[in-house]
Amino acid sequence: MTKIKSSLENIRADIEAFYDASQWHFITLNGLELKKDVLEVQWIFSKYEALDELIVYYVEIAYDALIPNVGDIIPSAMISQREIVDMFGARIEGSAKGLYLDEDSLQMPLSSCAYNVK
Amino acid sequence: MSKKTVEIPLGSQHISLLEPVRFKFECENEKIIRVDSDVGFVHRGIERACTTKFKFDTISTVVARICGLCAITHSLSYTVAIEKLLEGEISMKAKYLRILLLELDRIHSHMLCLSHTCENAGFEAMFMRIMGDRELIMEMQELVTGNRVQFDFITIGGVNRDISSVKVQELRKTLTVLTQKIEGYIEEFENNWSLSLKFKGIGALSLENAYKFNAIGPLARASGLKIDVRNEIDYLPYDKVGFKMQSRSGGDIHARNTLRLDEIRNSIEICNNILDGLPEGEIITKIKGKPLGETIVRFEAPRGELMYYVKGNGSAMLDRVRIKTPTFACIPAFSDIFVGQDYADAPAILASFDPCLSCTAK
Repeated sequence: MTKIKSSLENIRADIEAFYDASQWHFITLNGLELKKDVLEVQWIFSKYEALDELIVYYVEIAYDALIPNVGDIIPSAMISQREIVDMFGARIEGSAKGLYLDEDSLQMPLSSCAYNVK
Repeated sequence: MSKKTVEIPLGSQHISLLEPVRFKFECENEKIIRVDSDVGFVHRGIERACTTKFKFDTISTVVARICGLCAITHSLSYTVAIEKLLEGEISMKAKYLRILLLELDRIHSHMLCLSHTCENAGFEAMFMRIMGDRELIMEMQELVTGNRVQFDFITIGGVNRDISSVKVQELRKTLTVLTQKIEGYIEEFENNWSLSLKFKGIGALSLENAYKFNAIGPLARASGLKIDVRNEIDYLPYDKVGFKMQSRSGGDIHARNTLRLDEIRNSIEICNNILDGLPEGEIITKIKGKPLGETIVRFEAPRGELMYYVKGNGSAMLDRVRIKTPTFACIPAFSDIFVGQDYADAPAILASFDPCLSCTAK
């Protein structure tokens, strides 16, 4: 697994420059709470027919930062973006809440700020 | 929604669905022109539980409960991630036994999907025939692991049960019976009108769209996209047991069905090769320590790539367990396939995807 650090400003351009749909398979987005207010967001790719060749682009951001949407570059990313929004309460451009969790579920369950809806 | 269209829901409870998922189809006459999906009905919070309720050495049992059909792939993916973090090496015998269970699991899962496809085609007799024959696999799994569904066979360092020569003989006999039954299915799926002509050209995913939507598993391979994690990993010796990548080019329901039959044939071949060449040795190796660092492990579940990301901090509680399940990853491709199809075909198309909402709502 090779991790490549990016920034909120550059992540879209980095992924656009890197991603060739015929070479790289987009696996998913991943979120990871580093500290109470710091979230690591990862975009995970594997190379087709290569032995475990994984590339992970990541950014470390504040919870309230607006993450760029890469759905126009990787259409299948739309659904995992919505999962991250539900599970961490992250903000991703054009990604609405409510795909994964019910309205009365524990909200942002993978964040230390998880809360129940009264 | 424009005035000329009508919105028709499929699910969350529907006669053709086994689990809760809702597709909302916008239809123009009989044709589906737009699709919305909703998978958020039974979220169980397993990722959260893995980092708040359970110690790392018990989580293999927890994640096996995500899904009854691919329990073995979940527990194996997690266990291999921990073994990688602890830098433990397991015996070749344990690796072979792990593959044996993975492939038996793939066979019974594919048979379940094929039987539901028959049910959706109105071919109830074939549905019952396949479901009846599937018992052979359940019995083999019980023989090896002691359980029919939740095996708890995989453990950190190896597997929990050895296999005797008597059991090996029994498995060989059952695999021979199963092979004959599968040849009979191939005849039906290729030549019976309900299962062949009726499904040709229906619910097709082009190779171009398979790449575009990052399709995986039988869905991708039936469209000609050669993606199979068994070809991209070295944690298990798939290159030594006769794994062969299967693919078709039609991308439709018929191609997905016949691809699954091809995969069942190859899985039987793999199981026979394992029984013929099972190495001597211990089934379990002691691996000590607490996981530190992060890793990604992927396995080919019956529905496609299953990914586990695990991060440990050197204590018994993990920082993160991320589970990416095959069905969830395929939803964008599912939605694309429905567009342009007749609404009447939607249940059969959905059954051919073999969706697993139990995995999705982990």
